[in-house]
Amino acid sequence: MNQTLSSSTPTSLSPESTRLDTEAQSSIGNSMDTETDSITASETSVSKGSRSGRLPGDLAMWIFILAELTAFALLFSIYAVNRALYPDIFAEGQAGLDITSGLANTLALLSSSYFVARAVTSVEHGNNRKGFYELLAAIGMGAVYLVIKILEYKHSIELGYDITTNVFYQYYYLLTAFHFLHVILGMIILAFVAIKTRKKAYTPDSIMGLESGACYWHMVDLLWLILFPLVYVLH
Amino acid sequence: MKFQSQAVAMPYFIAAIGLFLGQILFGLIMGLQYVMGDFLFPEIPFNVARMVHTNLLIVWVLFGFMGSAYYLIPEESQTELFSPKLALALFWIFLVAGALTIVGYLAVPYATLAEITGNDLLPTMGREFLEQPTITKIGIVIVALGFLFNLGMTVLKGRKTVISMVLMIGLVGLAVMFLFSFYNPHNLVLDKMFWWYTVHLWVEGVWELILGAILAFVLIKITGVDREVIEKWLYMIIAMALITGILGTGHHYFWIGTPDYWQLLGSVFSALEPIPFFMMTLFAFNMINKRRREHPNKAAALWAMGTGVMAFLGAGVWGFLHTLSPVNYYTHGTQITAAHGHMAFYGAYAMIVMTMISYAMPNIRGRIANSRQAQVIEMWGFWLMTVSMVFITLFLTGAGILQVWLQRFSDNPQGFMAVQSQIEVFYWMRELSGVIFLIGLAVYIYSFFAKGDEVTVDNAATASA
Amino acid sequence: MSETFTKTMARNIFYGGSLFFILVFLGLSFHTTRVLPERDHRENINEDVILGKKLWEDNNCIGCHTLMGEGAYFAPELANVYDRFGKNKEAIKAFIKSRPANGIPGRRSMPQFNFSEEELEALAEFLKWTSEIDDGNWPPNIQG
Repeated sequence: MNQTLSSSTPTSLSPESTRLDTEAQSSIGNSMDTETDSITASETSVSKGSRSGRLPGDLAMWIFILAELTAFALLFSIYAVNRALYPDIFAEGQAGLDITSGLANTLALLSSSYFVARAVTSVEHGNNRKGFYELLAAIGMGAVYLVIKILEYKHSIELGYDITTNVFYQYYYLLTAFHFLHVILGMIILAFVAIKTRKKAYTPDSIMGLESGACYWHMVDLLWLILFPLVYVLH
Repeated sequence: MKFQSQAVAMPYFIAAIGLFLGQILFGLIMGLQYVMGDFLFPEIPFNVARMVHTNLLIVWVLFGFMGSAYYLIPEESQTELFSPKLALALFWIFLVAGALTIVGYLAVPYATLAEITGNDLLPTMGREFLEQPTITKIGIVIVALGFLFNLGMTVLKGRKTVISMVLMIGLVGLAVMFLFSFYNPHNLVLDKMFWWYTVHLWVEGVWELILGAILAFVLIKITGVDREVIEKWLYMIIAMALITGILGTGHHYFWIGTPDYWQLLGSVFSALEPIPFFMMTLFAFNMINKRRREHPNKAAALWAMGTGVMAFLGAGVWGFLHTLSPVNYYTHGTQITAAHGHMAFYGAYAMIVMTMISYAMPNIRGRIANSRQAQVIEMWGFWLMTVSMVFITLFLTGAGILQVWLQRFSDNPQGFMAVQSQIEVFYWMRELSGVIFLIGLAVYIYSFFAKGDEVTVDNAATASA
Repeated sequence: MSETFTKTMARNIFYGGSLFFILVFLGLSFHTTRVLPERDHRENINEDVILGKKLWEDNNCIGCHTLMGEGAYFAPELANVYDRFGKNKEAIKAFIKSRPANGIPGRRSMPQFNFSEEELEALAEFLKWTSEIDDGNWPPNIQG
């Protein structure tokens, strides 16, 4: 995941796609290259055949992901602006956060993304049973994330920091809670595709739904990879 | 027209256009009161004129939605309407109740109207856009229930399409959200907070579903593009509308006593609210470009594309201009809001109703499309109204910018009335644009009576669905 | 690059995405109602404030004025009128009472509502209470 983030290359759009589709694609083009590559990277061992170079997952899902990424991009920018406006409050607040928990959560989400990518590969090889267990593992790592985050919230609240404490904590709670809810939504989506994987609704030739769910989960992971350094680490 | 019962839409459309005319006349009265403060005072004070102006808008758009639904649902469901008689009865009930309410506004002082309609028993009156007497509100609920029952039964016995489901979700949502208008606590903050459940979740929520469904229906009919393509885009558009619009409610929770976090959430999500409107514009243009038939009703295609563009400009761009909380801090409750309100309502909801009327009326009157001559006149009406609405918006924006500067931003802020007299020139130009809008509306209405050569059959052959 | 765009996925995103944001919105609304007492000073809502709000509504004041920025833009903002009038309820009452029945030639004028003393007091109390709501320090200045 990390290495693909830096090695992404823009993919060209086919001219024969409809104009409306091109519109939506070109606007998400850049943001999705990373994800495209992370999937295709895991696919390299598979014979790609006619499916090479196509968008993994459904375009509808990509439009949704684009909207979500835009919302988070705005939230992150507003956070950054406020940090520039109140450097002392933010530095003090950041010092109060438990970086170990944040790191543990990063690992949890990264490993769950790994399991999701593995699950896609398994189903591509026709091994739905393995894919199902890999999806369960991914959901499990998501649950680990939720537990750690809840403990972290509990700790902060016990120390007397809540959303009204100051501007840092307002943004800390809003950003992380909003991401937290996305983890839950992502887990529900994963559970949905896991059940369908088990029912063999996906086959090597018909894997769009699973890929769409995987893309959403990678987005949730990616957002944390931005959120974690932004809120916990960067000074 | 495929089913006889679709004709019940006709009185709804006629009533809608009639009330639209009334709305514009009262708009002109108010516009004049902005520059000649004593005009019609104390006979029709500004608050009464405004109440009539905004309530007529709501009622005529609702008439338009109902007419559209009565036309659309039987055709989508491929069956006759469950009960055309009920539809007609509800039409008269709604029209008489609406007319009596307007007469009540104009005939007696508002406080007297409140007293004689029993507002003391269940006070719901006197809040912006929800000024209707409680008894009228109850009537609206009853009409809505009958309307939804009639449509629901039709959908149930016929084919269920995405368009009819989306329209039904929108209409049910409209009825459900209206129930919040009966909640009027003593606490002003709570009152305002849930008042927006009706107002915002109507116009930036469920109404967008209705708008999307009607637009999709008309596009299928006039372009012949595959239903599958249109329906999946409809889903994406309304998904974006609700994803952005629901938390977008937060942009009304900046300065009414609600917690600070709404400033962040409201700003972010309402900044995304232009997305569904942008998609709608692309959708309309793209489907018409990809059309698989040349439908002879060119005017309807113009209205459909116009709806996309004007909704995007009015609701999307003009909404975005003042939706970020640091900007809204200065622009809240000024003529900027008025500018946005005018173009958004015209561009999204007035125009979608006229799109549907433009497509459906010729069919109800037994022809595939109006004569070329009548369509040219209709398009003149379109351009006169649309361009003058753009100018109304620009002049109000000018007034608003100056107002914000003089009253709130400059080092030496001036009082409200002092500022109003300095921006009078913008109000005069707005009033002039309003007169041109009225002329455009008159031209539009005339187009229904214009004679001309009938659309030829070979034209119609390629166009029949 | 080719892509797949299915109606099923579009539908799932409509229902799933909308439901998600509806739930978030309801959760936030619930939280808001829980913390509102700190901001709206509801302990100060007395009989006069209640009657004042009723009079405010029964006379459709919102048809000309804004209150916390919402309403019509024909007449001044009133959420801070108590402050603008020097925190003086008598000044507010005197203003309302003194409106000429037939208006002011050529100018905008508030109608004469013929309120009783008790009603005037209630309206002034309502406007005073409203001015004390913690509304994010809006409007930007005393002019409203």
